[in-house]
Amino acid sequence: MAANFWTSSHYKQLLDQEEVDVVHQLDREKGITLEDFKLIKMHMANYIGKLAHNVKVRQRVVATAVAYMRRVYTKYVLLRPGVGRKMFWKSMTEYDPRVLAPTCLYLASKAEESTVQARLLVFYTRKIYTDEKYRYEIKDILEMEMKILEALNYYLVVFHPYRALSQLLPDAGMNDATQICWGLVNDTYRMDLILIHPPHFIALACIYVASVLKDKENTAWFEELHVDMNVVKNIAMEILDFYDSHKMISEERINAAMNKLPFRP
Amino acid sequence: MGDGNSRGISGNNNNSNSNRPEWLQQYDLIGKIGEGTYGLVFLAKIKPNRSKPIAIKKFKQSKDGDGVSPTAIREIMLLREINHENVVKLVNVHINHVDMSLYLAFDYAEHDLYEIIRHHRDKVNQAINPYTVKALLWQLLNGLNYLHSNWIIHRDLKPSNILVMGEGEEQGVVKIADFGLARIYQAPLKPLSDNGVVVTIWYRAPELLLGAKHYTSAVDMWAVGCIFAELLTLKPLFQGQEVKATPNPFQLDQLDKIFRVLGHPTQEKWPTLVNLPHWHSDQQHIQGHKYDSTGLYSVVHLSPKSPAYDLLSKMLEYDPRKRITAAQALEHEYFRLDPPPGRNALVPSQPGEKVVTYPTRPVDTTTDFEGTTSLQPSQPVSSGNAVSGSMAGPHVVPSRSGPRPVPMVGMPRMQPQGMAAYNLNSQAGMGGGMNPGNIPMPRGVGSQAHQQQQSVVFHGKLHVRDCASEDPHLKWGYRRNTKIQVQPVHFQEAVFEVVPSDSLLHTLGPDCKSLHQNLSYKRFESNLFFLVLGCHDSAVTYKLIPEH
Repeated sequence: MAANFWTSSHYKQLLDQEEVDVVHQLDREKGITLEDFKLIKMHMANYIGKLAHNVKVRQRVVATAVAYMRRVYTKYVLLRPGVGRKMFWKSMTEYDPRVLAPTCLYLASKAEESTVQARLLVFYTRKIYTDEKYRYEIKDILEMEMKILEALNYYLVVFHPYRALSQLLPDAGMNDATQICWGLVNDTYRMDLILIHPPHFIALACIYVASVLKDKENTAWFEELHVDMNVVKNIAMEILDFYDSHKMISEERINAAMNKLPFRP
Repeated sequence: MGDGNSRGISGNNNNSNSNRPEWLQQYDLIGKIGEGTYGLVFLAKIKPNRSKPIAIKKFKQSKDGDGVSPTAIREIMLLREINHENVVKLVNVHINHVDMSLYLAFDYAEHDLYEIIRHHRDKVNQAINPYTVKALLWQLLNGLNYLHSNWIIHRDLKPSNILVMGEGEEQGVVKIADFGLARIYQAPLKPLSDNGVVVTIWYRAPELLLGAKHYTSAVDMWAVGCIFAELLTLKPLFQGQEVKATPNPFQLDQLDKIFRVLGHPTQEKWPTLVNLPHWHSDQQHIQGHKYDSTGLYSVVHLSPKSPAYDLLSKMLEYDPRKRITAAQALEHEYFRLDPPPGRNALVPSQPGEKVVTYPTRPVDTTTDFEGTTSLQPSQPVSSGNAVSGSMAGPHVVPSRSGPRPVPMVGMPRMQPQGMAAYNLNSQAGMGGGMNPGNIPMPRGVGSQAHQQQQSVVFHGKLHVRDCASEDPHLKWGYRRNTKIQVQPVHFQEAVFEVVPSDSLLHTLGPDCKSLHQNLSYKRFESNLFFLVLGCHDSAVTYKLIPEH
């Protein structure tokens, strides 16, 4: 069902962290570690964000694109009664993230009803990255679009925390924290949280972090929600851990990871 | 989905075409059955035993080099999430990387309302059996109710998009098809015209004709009203002349056709009318009173006192906010009177009724998957969308008794937990980034801690709040893989009185009158409960709030 999270393919595809943190055999052969894997995905999320900023699409499109990109590189096993198992899992070696990332934005822009032209993506990519490894042509995008559709098993609906956030903040009396919460939610897409947790939990975790940062007493409000606060707090911890470790990540570290990827001929 | 390596080109096959991708070889192509702006529709059979007919919709690669058509993307996106007996089911998606074309495979439906109406009007010259009209309408509303309760508006309902299954296990079952224009309507929707989309104006709701900027599910109900009238009279109800000149023309003639039958809308009957751009600007003097009295009943040849007329007039209510919803329509008296609507709309259950044999869809057997014609086309091709779906599992034709009293049910309650450790008074400085060390948040105290919660019997009254009308995201307190479904009888010691709201009863529909059969509970963290009401394979969740 398209707009009911609990019956959606998104809900059914949620994984545990350990299931997401698996590097494809082909990538491991190239020396890509789990840390590299995470860094490249984060770098690609940033790339999608930069491109989106240039072509001017809504944050929702960016979020959907990042979710697509992360899903393609994540192992999903489909159990088909009587037929057997089918696996959906692509390596960065086969599916170059430098083409996949802009194509995810391209596909997401169609899914979210604000189509961006492929030639614009080609144009702005050249503006953002002078490195020829980031170069691609329109035909590369069109080919990759179909590959992504297949890799996603044609599941295209993605739910995001933004909607829950905009409903929760007024309820929590935290309208003044809209900016910071929105920013926190945007930053969660540099992690794999969207593959692991229901979006409203991510929204709650961001509100929790914002409450702490703004020194806002919100205990009663959270209590009234009757949610599992352990889940919310664990997500909040992950977000804070991410910010903490993010300080150490240098451009060189990202480049080193990217350089392990084979360059397309 | 998309099994088989679509990249491979096989030189080996029986057909003349040697460029055929592997996945295509699982089908025997029968021929072309439809053609639209998006591409072609083919009839095929799955190979081993050729038992199951499949309709394959081929999307052309758009000429301007902009990849997969956004219409195809949206159709796949929605159909992949949808599962209902009265909605087409996407069986498979295939990609041919060689020519970058996309194929959607659906179960094949032999008929559609366009052809059924045409057959009665032009061939047998006889009205459609009242049972068939009622059964078709009920199933159409049933599918639509499913879509609307999942926040999907179809936006292009018309007789050719409403398919009916031919001979076989699902004979006479209605399938709503063609979701290329369908939308999830949580976010405000752009007018169709903004996307350069043109749809038939005959079934278009008056608020859209008057320039309303946002769609609601009421636009689909207007279309259902028009289709209902067409099933009764075999003629389109409002057959306006379309203005095709500009991208978003003001369809004066269509409005005139509506006003002629329903009378002029008034601000009294439709308070927000004055806010609609085309009414407000009144450039073409539509505000001038020309038609007063309602002549709808004489147009559709129904007694103004008949339940059928009452239902129809509620579907054709001018004010979209007052227009009957699909859920309400399913509850209408019309469906409770004899003959009751059944699963096979084409064959009445009463013996002795004459069964009309509808013609099968013409198939152009000279066209192959590439759309190239090898011979002269033998027959004209139907305009309908020949796609349909099937649903696994038996369908029970509901018995339509009156609403039953709500049963007394009970359920256990869990202690609220995990809040004690939660302390927001702690300080965390902004400087130097966010230091998690300063924030007391227990880690690794995951959901395991909750497993030993004790069960507490709750005595009191529960109010059922309609969650479906709110954001479906906001159903708090779920835990993964913990869906507890309990029969009320297991918790006799707990006394609950579930007070269903009107909207709840409406959502259930006529085949879900009995709460007993459809009740289950989702028990989540702490003391929050959800009542899950299943209706076929859809479920509506309601939040239960204890009243102390």
